[in-house]
Amino acid sequence: MIFTSIPFFLFFISFAFLYYIFPLRFRWVWILASSLFFYMYGNPYSIIIIASIIFVTWFCALRMEKGPSEKVTPYFLFAIIINIALLVFFKYANFFTSTVFDLTNIVNTQVFHAGAPYSNPFILNVIAPLGLSYVTFQAIGYLIEIKRGNHKAEGNIGYLSTFLLFFPKIIAGPVERAHHILPQLKQYKPFNYDNISKGLKLIIWGLFKKLVIADRLSIYVDAVLDNAGHHSGTSISIAVIFYVFQMYADFSGYTDMALGISKVLGFDLLQNFNRPLLAKSITEFWRKWHISLSTWFADYFYTPIAISKRDWGIWSVVYAFFITFITLGFWHGANWTFVVFGALQGFILTIEFFTRKARKNMRKKIPPLLNNIIGTIFTVGYFALSLIFFRASSVKDSLIIIRRIFTIKGPVYIENPTIILFSLLGIFFLALIELKREYFDTLFNISTNRHWFIRNCYYCFLLLAILIAGVFDGGEFIYFQF
Amino acid sequence: MSKILTQIVTQRGYLYLLKKLAAFMVLFILFDFIIGSFFRYLYFRQTSGWEFRTKYSVEDTRADILIFGASRAQQQYNPIFFEERLHQTCYNVGRDGQPIFYYYGILNGVLRRYSPKMIFLDIENGVFNSEQSSYDRIGVLLPFYKTHAEMRQVIELKSPYEKMKLQSSIYPFNSLLFKIAVGNTKFNKNRNEDIKGYIPLSGELHEPIRTVSFLNQHVLDTNKINVYRSFINDCIKHHIKLYIVCSPYYMKTIGTDTSISIAKKIAHENNVDFIDYSKDELFLTNSTLFDDTVHVNVAGARIFSNKLIDNILVKE
Repeated sequence: MIFTSIPFFLFFISFAFLYYIFPLRFRWVWILASSLFFYMYGNPYSIIIIASIIFVTWFCALRMEKGPSEKVTPYFLFAIIINIALLVFFKYANFFTSTVFDLTNIVNTQVFHAGAPYSNPFILNVIAPLGLSYVTFQAIGYLIEIKRGNHKAEGNIGYLSTFLLFFPKIIAGPVERAHHILPQLKQYKPFNYDNISKGLKLIIWGLFKKLVIADRLSIYVDAVLDNAGHHSGTSISIAVIFYVFQMYADFSGYTDMALGISKVLGFDLLQNFNRPLLAKSITEFWRKWHISLSTWFADYFYTPIAISKRDWGIWSVVYAFFITFITLGFWHGANWTFVVFGALQGFILTIEFFTRKARKNMRKKIPPLLNNIIGTIFTVGYFALSLIFFRASSVKDSLIIIRRIFTIKGPVYIENPTIILFSLLGIFFLALIELKREYFDTLFNISTNRHWFIRNCYYCFLLLAILIAGVFDGGEFIYFQF
Repeated sequence: MSKILTQIVTQRGYLYLLKKLAAFMVLFILFDFIIGSFFRYLYFRQTSGWEFRTKYSVEDTRADILIFGASRAQQQYNPIFFEERLHQTCYNVGRDGQPIFYYYGILNGVLRRYSPKMIFLDIENGVFNSEQSSYDRIGVLLPFYKTHAEMRQVIELKSPYEKMKLQSSIYPFNSLLFKIAVGNTKFNKNRNEDIKGYIPLSGELHEPIRTVSFLNQHVLDTNKINVYRSFINDCIKHHIKLYIVCSPYYMKTIGTDTSISIAKKIAHENNVDFIDYSKDELFLTNSTLFDDTVHVNVAGARIFSNKLIDNILVKE
């Protein structure tokens, strides 16, 4: 059930209505039941995997806290291994066996079977349950916090299940923290008009970004990048830039909807985006993009690695950058393209780390506006380039696309001018809103205007824009696959 | 239950929310109606372009002969030859990229007004293959939902929630803003894009013939097969002379496409002529008659149209 579908809205309206009917202390039960229904709607069997993760995490966390101190590490390691093993099995097993097989195949082909095609006999017919990466990461975060003594283990498996299965965030995040959600589950949450109003507004804004901007851009992006061999460098460049906006509108649109749905129920989820496309450097960009995941990696991956290698001095940071971002890239999927995507982030962050003082001095000599423009163009440009690897099906394909950008001249592909016009209008509107919020936030505000009519006209405009220019036959959110 | 509901709505905040939501809905419905009505007005007064041709097919044409199909109808059957040699008026209602649902929707719209004397239905390889995009493309018929009850059955196939979405006045014109705007200008008209619905292709193919295999089975869509049957039945019911045609291809084939076999079988069951040019030697040996492997060019269209008319005249 995707957030933009009518079945989801029917589900959500009935769920929210009954949620406020339920006695306060049993509302979490209703959330859990509905989350289970939501999760099992498409594939009921995948809940078995998620339920195993929840049970192991709950049991081991309790044993870590209540058992003897020498048992803490074994329980912790057991739970972590189970979590990671399930993730690796479902998401990466075929990738690893294929990689090994491909390597041995090269040897075998050369020695015994020149030219004979091989196929990997170890390919497993498994599909990773939806949201597995998110559930696993949240469970691991919970276990680490208990191990560090920052959080008490949750005794009620129902609460822990509700935290991990909470339907607005189970499929594509934000990657939540137990200490942020569990207390909210136990809080007294009376009906609150402001929460509902803010939540509904976020849902509309997220829906607009997904249907009007992301799905519209995806038409051109798919048409060009899926057939890059037939398109000119100019068309590919346009598609690559469009893809940056598509990705942002898609993922932030989903997040806005997740935040909005939670807000209607009185929950606050972690912010995931803070206008990343206006960042002036990649370092700043990663503080603004997929914040819940990057802070998760910072807390549980980057910092421990950097501390463990502190003897290396400045190189510990470089080492931690690379390991963290390669893992972060690989988290997205079982493909070398994601590894390259992560490595490219690690590479530029290292460069920015070493040149931070020089850049700071240089910035003083450039007018702030120019500095912002150069910084933003560089950031978006570099991110767009790295996204080529993110989107392509292989590293070879990515390199072909990059080569074509710089070598193949030709006309711009415009099969349907309407798509280009709607796409450009969508980007323009998104940029306008983001720039306004970043630089002129105190100026005339439509969405929060004190006049009811103006405020509501704005949200009517968004809904009408969805009806006029939204793509109703579009696909899933991009991040659902991760 | 009613006690709980009373308690809820009388609680602080609930009523306020309901009032605000109601006010917002009124505002939204009002805007939707005004803008939707404006779009409707503009849509139905277009004078050129693709949407205009669809509207003309449904609401205006009175031609004796109609040609139905997708791009292979629109770009291969020249109505001028049909008019000259059969001495009847002709209009090509084919539309590029459209599935059989579209043809049937248009047929329903036409039959509400009059019964043409003759219909050519162009059928292509894979016409019954199951594809989600075929349902998405029914979208071009949405503007007719409100005023054409006879087309609703087809339009509602688009998705199970189409009826709900169509409560909006704007939704039928989704993504059509710029097309409608251009259709109201002289832009397309000045380009002389079509000749009675026929769009000539000017390219010339210069490549050796390819071989395509139909040995792999595709999943077939029973809705499409049912609509095809309905198309034939409606023509028979309205005493329309129907010819189902598979126009030329520039490709050799291994095996036969399942859709074509089924289409042939159903046609024969209903005593409808099925004329197959897909293996016509004249076209298979002359790539210069094609724009690409599945569409003949303007020269090919002339030869094909006349060849088809010869065939009809013999049969008549």
